[in-house]
Amino acid sequence: MTTGEATLDARALNLELYRSMLAIRRFEEAAYRAYESGEVVGTIHASIGQEAVAVGVISSMRPQDLVFSHHRGHGHALAKGVKPEQMFGELLARAYGASGGKGGSMHITDVSVRFMGSYAVVGGPIPLAVGVALAAQRRREDSVTVVFFGDGAINQGVLYESLNLASIWRLPIVFVCENNGFAISVPTSYATGGAGVTARASAFGLRAEQVDGQSVSAVRAAAAELIEGARSEGRPALLEALTYRFVGHSRGDPAHGLYRTKEELDQWRERDPLIVHREEAGLDSDTCDAIDSETTQSIDDAFDIARAYPRVPQDMLMRDVWGDA
Amino acid sequence: MGRRVSDRTAKLEETDGDAGAAETTYAEAIRRALRDAMAEDESVILLGQDTALGFPFGATRDLVERFGAERVIDTPISEAATMGCGIGAAVHGLRPVVEVDYAGFLLLAFDQLVNNAAKLRYMSNGQLRVPIVVRVGQGPLGAFAAQHSQSLQGWLANVPGLCVCTPATCQDAYETMRWSLRQGDPVVFNEDMRLYRSRGPLVEREPSGGTEARVVRPGRDATAIVFGYGVPRAHESAAVLAAEGIELEILDLRFLSPLDVPAIRRSIRRTGRVVCVSDDPLLGGFSATLATIATEQGAGFLESPVVRLGARHTPVAYDRELEKLTYPSSESLATAVRHLVAGGATA
Repeated sequence: MTTGEATLDARALNLELYRSMLAIRRFEEAAYRAYESGEVVGTIHASIGQEAVAVGVISSMRPQDLVFSHHRGHGHALAKGVKPEQMFGELLARAYGASGGKGGSMHITDVSVRFMGSYAVVGGPIPLAVGVALAAQRRREDSVTVVFFGDGAINQGVLYESLNLASIWRLPIVFVCENNGFAISVPTSYATGGAGVTARASAFGLRAEQVDGQSVSAVRAAAAELIEGARSEGRPALLEALTYRFVGHSRGDPAHGLYRTKEELDQWRERDPLIVHREEAGLDSDTCDAIDSETTQSIDDAFDIARAYPRVPQDMLMRDVWGDA
Repeated sequence: MGRRVSDRTAKLEETDGDAGAAETTYAEAIRRALRDAMAEDESVILLGQDTALGFPFGATRDLVERFGAERVIDTPISEAATMGCGIGAAVHGLRPVVEVDYAGFLLLAFDQLVNNAAKLRYMSNGQLRVPIVVRVGQGPLGAFAAQHSQSLQGWLANVPGLCVCTPATCQDAYETMRWSLRQGDPVVFNEDMRLYRSRGPLVEREPSGGTEARVVRPGRDATAIVFGYGVPRAHESAAVLAAEGIELEILDLRFLSPLDVPAIRRSIRRTGRVVCVSDDPLLGGFSATLATIATEQGAGFLESPVVRLGARHTPVAYDRELEKLTYPSSESLATAVRHLVAGGATA
């Protein structure tokens, strides 16, 4: 999937959206297998079930627009155009990886496609996105910055400081909250007072909307309006996408049984974004199957490409700390 | 954006024409460095509270009149987001100077400074650079009590990815600020608040050096390793000691990170005796790092064990006498040096 305004016809666009979501799904499944086999170390946070948010928002952006992401950021990176082989390279600690093997799953950056990094302190990248939007405004750039964060970030104070700055300076920025209902194990409903993040954003003077995060078309429509409003009218906005992760928070917790019920998971699985999109866009199963086998193959190929590269060399240890070093 | 600035600003003393080697204040030296950097480089912006007015120390006053509210940007009291915003703007082509009036307030922004400013370049394998300068008021101001009186330079020096400078004179403040605004990575510019009103000569010239430490008073008998306000304080000690026939060498570190270890080695090998001084507590304080390095570098040359002076292990009291008792003084430094020269090992 490339970013940018789609000039494709509706069917081609819908197929592309499907392919893009499927690539994220297959990437994360492969990453999980590599984690299980011990080739990927540390931890990974999969966004399986949430792909429509990443694809819906980012497919509404232009190439010059910028994205900030978080620890559950594989989908955002892929949707923005980071190559899957370089993402696998990062997970496998290859110098070829997107961040040279020094960032890992939680810190993937590719400035060449204006993917400005994924960050692992919850809420931490939000003011960075505000700063990029400020710089874009001052430099009279025609760019919008989007920052993704989860519901876990909506009780961090820095989010509200950032919403306020965006509001008083009328910055070209869209805050996207991926509300998957849980911050690891703590339900959003328990953790959040009042009427939720959209009401809070409205109180700061932002446009704020809530959308079905399982429908890529719905996300895309809502995001496109907010992004273009931010671009042409200098109206910062917040989009809350209601979604669900079909897997545990990371590799340390099960998809259900600890803090979520199987019934709840099954209900959300019926609204798998791939299924929802097939139905909404009327995609036939033969076409979808063909896309699936192509996508699966290309993801598998990407993994093999990455694995063939050498590990990050030891002389990179002290590189890029400060100054000439 | 940007608010109307009160006419009060325009009525503040106009000192822009006061160039040359005349005496000025430390705060004014910083202001002139910011002014000259902003004139030279349009990407330099200022972000902070009361920046347009130049409150509280005058180091940014009148700059909004010259460079406009697009570049001299007043922020709400939102330290975390302001720091993050400065970092983001730095990543995307601007060169922000983020002002934090008191080190105590820096703690609200520490996550952004440590987790983002210091690490973005490394985590991104050099794709992101953060050319930001963070101005922080350090030390006590005099009866401002515990939350406004902190000396956190050592914490900053402990963070890989930050450059930490501590200029002690008007000239060094000017040149180091100009130098800082030409770097590609974050610099934390520590301004000891006891220095703001100190006066000294200033020539507004190009930065003459880098991150090297400097012997600002040569002496044969002992070395005082100091930084920031510790420099003028050590000069006081040296004057008293000189009258007694003891010549104290003063090594002004200027930068805590990177630390000029060869300069420490050279001075110790000349004098054979060393006192390390820092205004943070002895436990875990920067004096501990200095003393360790001095011991390592002086092996075989030290005539006495290394001595260090630091703050008492207490928050800072409002009462001026209690505040004074918290920190090393010119007297305590002189006493320590006398003991060293007399062959004693204890301060």
